[in-house]
Amino acid sequence: MSEPVRIQEADFSQDAEIAALKASSRRMGGIATFLGCARDFSEGRDVSEISFEAYGSMALAEMRKLREEAISKFDLLDARIVHRVTTVQAGDNIVFIAAGAAHRAAAFDACRWMIDELKQRVPIWKKEVTPEGESWVTQHP
Amino acid sequence: MIKVLFFGPVADRVETREMDIEYADGMTLHDITHKVGMQYPGALSIVSFIAVNQTQVHDKQTPLRDGDEIAFMAKFSGG
Repeated sequence: MSEPVRIQEADFSQDAEIAALKASSRRMGGIATFLGCARDFSEGRDVSEISFEAYGSMALAEMRKLREEAISKFDLLDARIVHRVTTVQAGDNIVFIAAGAAHRAAAFDACRWMIDELKQRVPIWKKEVTPEGESWVTQHP
Repeated sequence: MIKVLFFGPVADRVETREMDIEYADGMTLHDITHKVGMQYPGALSIVSFIAVNQTQVHDKQTPLRDGDEIAFMAKFSGG
């Protein structure tokens, strides 16, 4: 079975991630997932590609910590976080987060918390390629 | 030797991703940030986070050891 926290170039399968999450416990009654994907526009400009860069060792350590914190804070049965670091086009998958809990409220809350925390804490940067040139994204709404 | 790493927009401004700085006894994080700031003021102006050995550090007086890895990072934008 794949690691529950990963940084990878390749695309991921949501079905495979959810199956792995479900396999971890038969007490799971609710799974909430977040899929982040690439848009073809940003702040009024067309975006043809988005490229990602990470401080790999720190990003992975921080994502593992984040998962552990989420499991403990929301009493999850399991959680998974996968982030791609590569160049993607519009519609491509970027990040997948899944939270599995006994009941839906904890799963929803934990999923939202994990993606919000990831954006604040994990050293990954995205650069958008537009007809006007390339620019690093520095905000994280 | 202290290994200094730059990522994303900071790396673009420094025009390198990595540099080595000679370690000296008693060296602190301030010594490294001062050196980088003098050399690349435009890069330091967008640094929001500094990590020593993959852990975020806020205290510039943090003592360094030979072989430490320091990263200068702009605001994150993953996800």
